[in-house]
Amino acid sequence: MDRRTFIRGSGIAGIAALAGCTGGPTEGSGSNDSENGNGTGDGDGDGSSGSAEVSANVGVVYATGGLGDGSFNDQAQQGIQQAESELNISYNDAQPDEVSQFKSFQQQFAQSTNPDYDLVCCIGFLQKSALAENAPDYPDQNFMIVDEVVEEPNVASYVFGEEEGSFLVGQLAGLLTTREFSAGSGSTNPDRASVGFVGGVEGSLIGKFEAGFIAGVARANADAEVQSTYVGDFNDPAGGKEAALAMYNSGADIVYHAAGNTGTGVFEAAQEAGRFAIGVDQDQSKTKSNYADVILASMVKRVDTAVYTSVENVVNGEFDGGNVTTLGLEQDGVEVVYGQQLGGQISGDVKSEIKASQQAIIDGEISVPADPANV
Amino acid sequence: MSGDDRSGGARRRGRAALERLVRASAAERVFISTAALVLSMAVGVVIVLAAGRMTTCGEAAAVYFGVGFCYDPFAVYDSLFLGALGNPINPLFRPLEGQFAPPFRRGWSPLNGQMAVTLRETTILVFTGLSVAVAFRAGIFNIGTQGQLVVGALATALAALYASPLVAGLVGTLVLIPFGLLVGALSGGLYGAIPGALKAYADANEVITTIMLNFVATGVALYLVAGPFKDPASAANETVSLPGYAIFPPVVFEPRDDFSVLALLFGVALVGGVYYLLEHTAFGYDIRTSGIQPEAAEYGGVDAERTVVSSMAISGALGGLGGAVYVLMIIGNYQTGIPAYGFDGITVSILAGNNPLGVGFAAFLFGVLKSGSIVVDVNTGAPPQLVGVLRGLIILFVAMPEFFRLLGRRVVAIEPERPVATDGGRPGDGGDDAGAEAGGEVDE
Repeated sequence: MDRRTFIRGSGIAGIAALAGCTGGPTEGSGSNDSENGNGTGDGDGDGSSGSAEVSANVGVVYATGGLGDGSFNDQAQQGIQQAESELNISYNDAQPDEVSQFKSFQQQFAQSTNPDYDLVCCIGFLQKSALAENAPDYPDQNFMIVDEVVEEPNVASYVFGEEEGSFLVGQLAGLLTTREFSAGSGSTNPDRASVGFVGGVEGSLIGKFEAGFIAGVARANADAEVQSTYVGDFNDPAGGKEAALAMYNSGADIVYHAAGNTGTGVFEAAQEAGRFAIGVDQDQSKTKSNYADVILASMVKRVDTAVYTSVENVVNGEFDGGNVTTLGLEQDGVEVVYGQQLGGQISGDVKSEIKASQQAIIDGEISVPADPANV
Repeated sequence: MSGDDRSGGARRRGRAALERLVRASAAERVFISTAALVLSMAVGVVIVLAAGRMTTCGEAAAVYFGVGFCYDPFAVYDSLFLGALGNPINPLFRPLEGQFAPPFRRGWSPLNGQMAVTLRETTILVFTGLSVAVAFRAGIFNIGTQGQLVVGALATALAALYASPLVAGLVGTLVLIPFGLLVGALSGGLYGAIPGALKAYADANEVITTIMLNFVATGVALYLVAGPFKDPASAANETVSLPGYAIFPPVVFEPRDDFSVLALLFGVALVGGVYYLLEHTAFGYDIRTSGIQPEAAEYGGVDAERTVVSSMAISGALGGLGGAVYVLMIIGNYQTGIPAYGFDGITVSILAGNNPLGVGFAAFLFGVLKSGSIVVDVNTGAPPQLVGVLRGLIILFVAMPEFFRLLGRRVVAIEPERPVATDGGRPGDGGDDAGAEAGGEVDE
């Protein structure tokens, strides 16, 4: 083929393909004439006219890993999207890919004048040190951080009451271990009252899961034995499998994990041993659907609630800078979600007992320890 | 056959183009790089527009020819390049429309925060770029700069941490920073010498060993920072933060910018130092000749084994220095998740044609792109993955001519422009070409 014919043909095809793409802006394109060109926003008149329609501008800095992680960041995005549709805010998000970039991203949002951000959400505990340095430099900027505490007057910290949710799944495990229960690919051994806990890396955070779980098991069955171990890594499925198999072999019916990806090994072990497991952070019978036949329930951390609550506070003019908000059962920060496949087969009286405990925790009748040493 | 003729013609043309590229003068090379940059942006504009039609968004970011697009390519490139410098241009300055307001925006200073991000990325990449360049000049493909950087960073963070209680204040700064740099250079150098020794004395391919040692470095560092040296107060895998006096003083920039001109000057000094070492010392001559023709170098009296080990040690020391500066200037401790400076250093070095003087400029281009990506992510709707594509395009386009030039120097015999009468038994130009052609025929 002649070279010119080829170039002309491919040019026409390219333009046709470009114009024919199904996406693009969905609204009319007449309203945005003023937006192009004046990126730095020195004219004070037209800069603010755009933001007058929304009740707040929010910047979101995600944890490394970015969107599409099926976990922390995606949940945070859910929260901000919910706020966008319900609270009439406008948001802009950014995805750092290195820990050393957190500081720059936070500064970019804090310095921005067009729009002027009313709140900068920092997702994940790794942003703590960057935020601790940035917050005093931008005293007029409101920040919030999820999963860590930064003690500055312009930072609202949101942490979760993991021990409360863990208490409930502990109670679930304690109740089921002595019953004749068979569902999916698992079954219990009612003769032995034994359950297990597999942690990632030992520390105060995972300690909250362990403490709540042990207390919950004890609430259901004071004689039940809890085998507890730490693998030492959040990304070691082989280690998790080994640890869980050891527990199943020595009589445990149900193993709860708070070990990130290490927990995948716990699920594998449960399938191999024909026992049950309990997931963490999200509804793992959905996110790890291969193991839905052994996942009784998951202790879900609602990062979206944290983000939504903080934005709601800013919109209502009640930004709680300097405070640490613990999102427990009462605030929908944590909850128990029964497994997609197995949840329906757990008997109603077990579920109602757990519901009763949930109410008791909310009402303050049960106090859940956060440290395994205090159980 | 006509097919053979055509392929022979294409081969000859390709060969001629390679030769032309090899002989390009410095000014021509700068021009080629600039043209490549412009071309990459033209391609990038099309990609951004196409991506803007393939996604859906509420309102158009830009309207061209009556069609709305979700991403505005010009805003993206504006943020990518000018954003990295802190948006210096006055929006009223439009010479094309006859408005000659002051070109620089009021309130803009070259010492702004985003400029600091650009320069600090540049600083680290100068070290890793030099590290790769030294090894490449010696004919060794050091893919292990990342591992050497990790080892240097960890060693510096720990050594400075344990030495910091002994000194304090200004004395502390004067003692700890050189000490930290020395530790980083020594540890990185030792770690670089391992694959060097394996290559020299056991004939192990350095590409394999350096890649593997990267994993070893990252894995061991993770183990140490998650275990024995972990900051007990932190949920992250990191060491205890260094005291303020153990960090590079921020001279003219704000302390929050995590950038020190001193570190950049140190990097620039090293650029000069490495250039001098390679071009003006006997040892540098050994390195260069070993890189071009190892057998000839050995015949000429170069100790090949020693040159391999010592050039790898120098390369590793430069990588380790990069890690030390990363710790002492940017992050303030060792934390898992070290950016891929070492791998970027490979591209920086190729971009610079393995010339130490070019490394500075190539590192700056990289610094602009890395820093500008942050501005694009925050200020435009374009997703970071798309920005990554644009960055990759720029680097690919700019690096390819240099890459082919480096390749061409190996493939195309470097013949003098004018025939030299005194070169003894060397066959004439015609004979050489004929031999090459014959070889080509046999290959087919």
